[in-house]
Amino acid sequence: MLSFILRRVVSTLPVMAIVALFVFSLLYIAPGDPAVVIAGDQASPEDVERIRQSLGLDRPFLIQFGSWVWRILHGDLGTSIFTNLPVSTMIGQRLGPTLSLMMVTLLLTIVVAVPLGVVAAWKAGSFIDRAIMAFAVFGFSLPVFVVGYVLAYVFALELEWLPVQGYTPLTEGFWPWLQNLILPAVALGCVYIALVARITRATMLEVLQQDYIRTARAKGLGQGGILFIHALKNAAVPIVTVIGIGIALLIGGAVVTESVFAIPGLGRLTIDAILRRDYPVIQGIVLLFSFVYVLVNLMIDVTYTIVDPRIRY
Amino acid sequence: MSEELLRIDDLHVSFSTRRGLVEAVRGVTLTVEAGEMLGLVGESGSGKSVTGFATTRLLDSAGRVTGGKILFRGQDITKLRGDDLRQLQGAAMSMIFQNPRAALNPIRAIGLQIADAILTHKRISKDAARAEALELLRAVQIRDPEKRMNAYPHELSGGMCQRVMIAIAISCNPALLIADEPTTGLDVTTQKVVMDLLADIAAARGMATILITHDLGLAARYCRRIAVMEQGRIVEEASPKTLFSTPQHAYTRRLVAASPTATSRIEDLVTAEERERHAAVISKPRQQLAHGTPPLLEVRKLAKRFDQGSAAVADFSMTIAGGESVGLVGESGSGKSTTSRMICRLIDPSEGDIVFDGQSIGHVAARDFHRSRFRKDIQIVFQDPNESLNPRFTAFDCIAHPLMRLDDMRAGSELRQRVEECAERVGLPLDLLPRFPHQLSGGQKARVGIARAIACRPRLLVLDEPTAALDVSVQAVVLQLLDRLRRENDIALLFVSHDLNVVRMLCDRTIVLRNGGIVEQGESRALFDNPKTDYTRKLVEAIPHIETGPALAAAL
Repeated sequence: MLSFILRRVVSTLPVMAIVALFVFSLLYIAPGDPAVVIAGDQASPEDVERIRQSLGLDRPFLIQFGSWVWRILHGDLGTSIFTNLPVSTMIGQRLGPTLSLMMVTLLLTIVVAVPLGVVAAWKAGSFIDRAIMAFAVFGFSLPVFVVGYVLAYVFALELEWLPVQGYTPLTEGFWPWLQNLILPAVALGCVYIALVARITRATMLEVLQQDYIRTARAKGLGQGGILFIHALKNAAVPIVTVIGIGIALLIGGAVVTESVFAIPGLGRLTIDAILRRDYPVIQGIVLLFSFVYVLVNLMIDVTYTIVDPRIRY
Repeated sequence: MSEELLRIDDLHVSFSTRRGLVEAVRGVTLTVEAGEMLGLVGESGSGKSVTGFATTRLLDSAGRVTGGKILFRGQDITKLRGDDLRQLQGAAMSMIFQNPRAALNPIRAIGLQIADAILTHKRISKDAARAEALELLRAVQIRDPEKRMNAYPHELSGGMCQRVMIAIAISCNPALLIADEPTTGLDVTTQKVVMDLLADIAAARGMATILITHDLGLAARYCRRIAVMEQGRIVEEASPKTLFSTPQHAYTRRLVAASPTATSRIEDLVTAEERERHAAVISKPRQQLAHGTPPLLEVRKLAKRFDQGSAAVADFSMTIAGGESVGLVGESGSGKSTTSRMICRLIDPSEGDIVFDGQSIGHVAARDFHRSRFRKDIQIVFQDPNESLNPRFTAFDCIAHPLMRLDDMRAGSELRQRVEECAERVGLPLDLLPRFPHQLSGGQKARVGIARAIACRPRLLVLDEPTAALDVSVQAVVLQLLDRLRRENDIALLFVSHDLNVVRMLCDRTIVLRNGGIVEQGESRALFDNPKTDYTRKLVEAIPHIETGPALAAAL
């Protein structure tokens, strides 16, 4: 198992290298000259030239790329053009809220969507099944910000059960932390729950048709044993895959959700950085998200081998 | 007369399908006594499996018992629910299935799967259940049971998987075991071992068994009473001896006739009137080749090694003359399919050469062989007609495709004519040509497969278990068709099969393979009547025989 994980980590290196090259090229692909933008409207051509030199933007592409990679490998993501703070510090300040939001959403999704899918498959064709699938279509169709504002209006403004917006760090207590995350997590998780519930139902339906489920019934096993011991584990591989792919969805959704609920996370930072053309920050964030995604894929692969003894790498 | 364990009384089972309610079982009545083994025989669609599933209450959700009673120890079990039902299933009665590997959970260790059954019905600790599971593995004679406890189904052979299924089924000492085609798809030798084991266990534990099978010979060997089913009804019930010597019902007579025996000839497989239809062809003598004619196919020292492990096939040499038929028999893993695929040039041999019509074709890469002018001369018919036809191609497309690819024909009236001609030769009604595979029966699909293979008028036809998935009556027709094609068109046949009775009838010569090497070869009848090696003898003895007397001949 350890050597498998090691090999998988090594095989992600080329992927990370390509991502790094792409992220770095952003600076050149994107329209507009960063030096002009940073210098501001009143700057003279000399000022622009000075800024260009101080950032090393006048050097050849490959040398810039090489030194950039070298610095990243040493943990230096560069300095923000706008705030003059190290990019790693800026990301570090904003990481907590976003990670919290993503984890809570992920947990909520698994806890809600998987049982819903299992029940829908078990009662396929019944009223319960149809109700769950109708909910799934609903969840797919509504944009995050619509759900977000409706939730905020109903549960925060009218019922006053939960705060309207903002974020409290976990260090100030579990409940205050969670309180602020419930509505954003539900809003963000809607699409995700719908997706996972549908996949769970479809896969379970297929598994329940298999001969070994009939064998389990022939043994006299109860419904719970059949559904959870024999069926769900056999259905796990596609479900785990979709949950993993969904994390990419979460990253995109987090940007919008954080704006709606005024959470000071990476999503807000991303938008601000893009508006200011703060390239080092943009590069740092994209690189971080890519890294997270590669890591998630590694975890999915490891989960496969745990779930299914037939899968060997 | 001993105690009556099960009484099925006028049972009706219906399935709701898209085309409305379909009645699969229409009034089955039968009884099973304690400790008895009853054979329930019929072809696919006769309702024999559905009767079994209704009895064990395992019908899928579309199926419902619409009439009649199933009395088990005097209690009607068709209405049982909840806990009462679960106490019955797996404890008082259990079931084993066709395709044992699919019947086991692929991602759960087999020891746990046996323990599951025990823990469902007995209040014992997990360790005790595990110990019992180990005992059961010993009882079903699995070697190295301690090691196998943690094995997964994909690590076991088909025969071993069926033993595990038997272990699960007998774990709670049921009074009744229903075995649904327990050995279909297993090798003849494995079939014998598994059936012997099942019979011994049933006898030792006093367990009644219903053996559901399409194989009359198998039922005759193990059961003292056989019920024959056709279209959801039991048409005849008798001892094997009576059934074979004086079958009463027309369907039974046809079934008995279609079951190949040690002495039957191809001509014997169908009724007299069908025989007359093709009398001219049947009576045509087999072509005698002049001495010194070069063989159509010559295989020299062929070998195949896959990435790891030992050779799948080694040092395999053979020849086939034009119009000759050669059988290739052996158990699964003997390399017969690998050999046939090399000869068809679907996979590349590691060593050796294949010479076809005087030209070496063994060194043409398999992926390039479709460009060779010999591609149309060597064609193959695959084992499972259900899996080997493209579900999105109509029967017409299937047959037309090779003509367009290999005979450079264009869509048009000429192509249509050729396709219809092929369909007629294999006896496929022309109105079926626009249909898709799922709209055809198994026998019809087999004919499409053969029509496709003969469309380009090949000189060598390789048949990989072409009748393994077919009912005996359909098999009889397909075998006749193949024999006729050979006589009419001088197509040489390489017939790969594990069914020795069929090989004996159809093939002039037979080659016996074991572990990738030739064990024995020779003229078919001589080889089977007087096997020279132990291995061949074991194969021959494992075939369930039907003893047919003169009375049967008179009845036909």
